[in-house]
Amino acid sequence: MHSISWHSVDHSLDECIKCNICTSYCPVSAVTDRFPGPKYVGPQAQRFRSPHQPHSPDDSVDYCSGCRVCNEVCPTGVKIAEINARARAQIVAERGLPLRNRLLGRNELLGKLGSLAPAAANLALHNPLSRLLAEKTLGIARHAPLPTWSTRGTFGDWLRRTAHRRLRSEKKVVYFHGCATMYYEPFIGQAAVAVLEHQGYEVIVPPQNCCGLPLLSNGEFPAAERYHQGNVARLAGFARAGLPIVGTSTSCTLTLKEEAPELLDREDEGTAALRQATWDIFEWLRALHEQGELRTDFQPIPSSGASLVLPYHAPCQLRAHRVGKPALEILALIPGLDLRESHARCCGIAGTYGYKTEKYQIAMDVGQELFDFVQAQGEAVPYSACDSETCRWQLEHGTGLPSRHPIEVLAAAYGLYDLEQRRLVREAQS
Amino acid sequence: MRPDLLVIGAGLAGLSAALRATQAGLRVRIIAKGLGTLHWSTGNLDLLGYLPGAPHPVRKPMEAIYTLPESHPYARLGPERIGHCLSWWQKALGAAGLAYRPATPARSNWLLPSPAGAVRPTYLATEAQAGGDLSQAEPMLIVGFQGMRDFYPHLIAENLTRQGYAARAATLSLAVITRRQDSNTLHLAQELERPGRVQELAAALRPLVRPGERVGLPAILGLERHQAIWQGLATALDAPVFEIPTLPPSVPGIRLHRALTRHLEAQGVQIQVGLTAIGFQADRGRILAVETESSARPWRHQAEGFLLATGGILGGGFNSDPQGRFWEVVFNLPLTVPQDRNAWFRPHFLAPEGHPVFRGGLAVDGCFRPVDGHGTPLYQNLWAAGNLLAHVDAIQERSVEGLAVITGMAAAEALLA
Ligand SMILES: Cc1cc2nc3c(=O)[nH]c(=O)nc-3n(C[C@H](O)[C@H](O)[C@H](O)COP(=O)(O)OP(=O)(O)OC[C@H]3O[C@@H](n4cnc5c(N)ncnc54)[C@H](O)[C@@H]3O)c2cc1C
Ligand code: SF4
Ligand code: SF4
Ligand code: SF4
Repeated sequence: MHSISWHSVDHSLDECIKCNICTSYCPVSAVTDRFPGPKYVGPQAQRFRSPHQPHSPDDSVDYCSGCRVCNEVCPTGVKIAEINARARAQIVAERGLPLRNRLLGRNELLGKLGSLAPAAANLALHNPLSRLLAEKTLGIARHAPLPTWSTRGTFGDWLRRTAHRRLRSEKKVVYFHGCATMYYEPFIGQAAVAVLEHQGYEVIVPPQNCCGLPLLSNGEFPAAERYHQGNVARLAGFARAGLPIVGTSTSCTLTLKEEAPELLDREDEGTAALRQATWDIFEWLRALHEQGELRTDFQPIPSSGASLVLPYHAPCQLRAHRVGKPALEILALIPGLDLRESHARCCGIAGTYGYKTEKYQIAMDVGQELFDFVQAQGEAVPYSACDSETCRWQLEHGTGLPSRHPIEVLAAAYGLYDLEQRRLVREAQS
Repeated sequence: MRPDLLVIGAGLAGLSAALRATQAGLRVRIIAKGLGTLHWSTGNLDLLGYLPGAPHPVRKPMEAIYTLPESHPYARLGPERIGHCLSWWQKALGAAGLAYRPATPARSNWLLPSPAGAVRPTYLATEAQAGGDLSQAEPMLIVGFQGMRDFYPHLIAENLTRQGYAARAATLSLAVITRRQDSNTLHLAQELERPGRVQELAAALRPLVRPGERVGLPAILGLERHQAIWQGLATALDAPVFEIPTLPPSVPGIRLHRALTRHLEAQGVQIQVGLTAIGFQADRGRILAVETESSARPWRHQAEGFLLATGGILGGGFNSDPQGRFWEVVFNLPLTVPQDRNAWFRPHFLAPEGHPVFRGGLAVDGCFRPVDGHGTPLYQNLWAAGNLLAHVDAIQERSVEGLAVITGMAAAEALLA
């Protein structure tokens, strides 16, 4: 049995003053009796967990979605979500993992397989019969917003096809795309490369692994550790050379910075170097702007009205970075863009949480606050925006409205990207 | 992007200071580690409830201020300045949608029932809590709910009766309010906002209420639609209804928190929670930036001025070690706390004079700038307010909110000057 280390959370446990603020804000315990809330399953139940304890005292911790709202509001800084993640890993270590969670944890493998024949894979996955079958046999909710494989080729295909067009420059930046961009949404990576090159940077996209987050959140720590070591081997060299590593997936960058090192107790030099060099792309663009180096040659984004109304939701994974809402700050520079900031706690999906049959309805109930907010912004709103891919899919599912990554919006504001067609302007022309 | 004023701490002191500074036209940003202690406040404004060592509550707090030691922040400001701050704040909160009521006669304390059935002095009461005024003779029916934690109507009624206030108790099933198995006060308040719930509650209460009685309920009468629910219930019962504050999470405190933060955000103030200030940069007596901890590297927040409102030991503004050393966590400012553990406490746990450790804190000058041992300001652009200030034991005095609001506003006015 892989023994779970409590090293980085043990001390934080004693900081709990039992104020219940976390329970008041937890979006999951607000909608279901199956989850008694962060204070109970976190710092309270933790008193009864130890490496020598044969059984976990509490199964309901499996209903924690990991959204980290509790961490954010806790006045004393208890690392509640991390306590919960470890408790789940301990249950997995004790009892093994259902096949469903094994599958959902393997985003990269699924991405690769589907990309071999994306059209057929989409058809196979997205028809009502196979969804019903997946629900009955695997416990993957039949209405949950599963992604579709890209039928215009993977991000890697695009990189190879357009290699001759890459900007060469003294100034270099490394791009971490993550699985979703690679196999499902290559256009996000295209927008990111275009924006970075527009700033005069050469973009390096080295071979890379899945960040390992889906495995971590399903409690499969040993498998996650292999992924993480792969990334350290491939990327730490760039970090040591002083190159920033930016990513468009808030959960991937968070995993590289913090989740993997902390949950896996990795304190090696390579992990630390990678951590220090990793940025959310907007966090990095904001730093560029603070140095006066961000280009501001914006053009109005085509829209039906006088201004483009854009409801924006900062995903929990971004909040967990503790860097504020950098996308909001940068998008606020774009003339004619009417940004509306959501204060909803969570969209509900929480990575792979909302895909699971027993959690699908909880995730939809959690998301209702956000869906209502988006719909309240008016009929003429063409998109919502969110940095996280699974949240965008959930947002589209819950509101019926397309959703965009802020980097797509920024690329469109530079005149580089067609926000409706989701492709680079110069490729649409050629 | 760079604000004029960075407020550190989103408790009542930080929010009140931000309110005042924003009104004067400053661009303000608030950062905080977590949510402030408003979530366990009664939602009332306690100005001065007890004097050190005195057994009875203060009836006339504005007059009692003259008897405070001159180092006390109230004594330094004086009743006139305090009165001005309070009426400004009451008006601002009214504009933000929360009505507060002063007691009669003017400038006196309310005496309201606490959730233990004790008598609690407060200065500005929420409208729904003011109905529990113990100077009124109407008998009280205190109603609780079977299965609701930390609210025991029989205990409250018995204690009130013992002190000469007419009160009796009744209990209803929690199923009147919620179908959930387990709920805290906030969830219950939200359940009461569902269509029809108030009518169901009124129907269950009606047979219990005797003519001439007023009905005291735990403070769960709605969150967003509090006013409508409270008044709707009173109308449906044809009897006065009042709230008694509960243990945390405290719904009236959360209402106050929401009203303040929404009001601030509507005026363009950014409030970022989940950011822990861990350090700063300074040059020649000026603070240049405060750093917060993040997932990979410290994040720098530049501003023209900085206001520290991180609370005392409870808010997280101070830290201590087992040897007895005490320090301020962001700027490492000196504190007046005895730096020896043996000097922290008196021998008696409930010593009426309070314990020296709780009077310790941050010493400031007349403009609310932290000072060194000689009374000289340490930085030109750093101000401090709230429960971290020295020479006051706010919990013992029952002056927590008053201290936060008044020093928060006064510090904002000082930095505007
Ligand atoms: C369980 C409990 C029950 C209580 N009950 C009562 C009661 O019944 N009656 C009573 O009068 N008082 C009570 N108190 C005390 C009272 O609530 C507080 O003392 C008072 O509210 C302090 O107000 P403040 O605005 O100065 O600070 P706070 O409201 O404490 O706000 C401090 C703010 O600063 C932030 N902060 C702290 N450190 C940092 C940092 N390094 N970086 C960034 N932000 C930071 C915090 O997150 C918070 O937002 C209770 C306290 C507790 C813990
Ligand atoms: S918010 Fe933090 S301190 Fe309060 S109960 Fe939850 S974990 Fe404990
Ligand atoms: S991480 Fe989210 S779901 Fe889990 S306990 Fe915290 S607030 Fe609740
Ligand atoms: S699903 Fe989205 S909004 Fe919810 S936990 Fe994740 S990142 Fe947060």
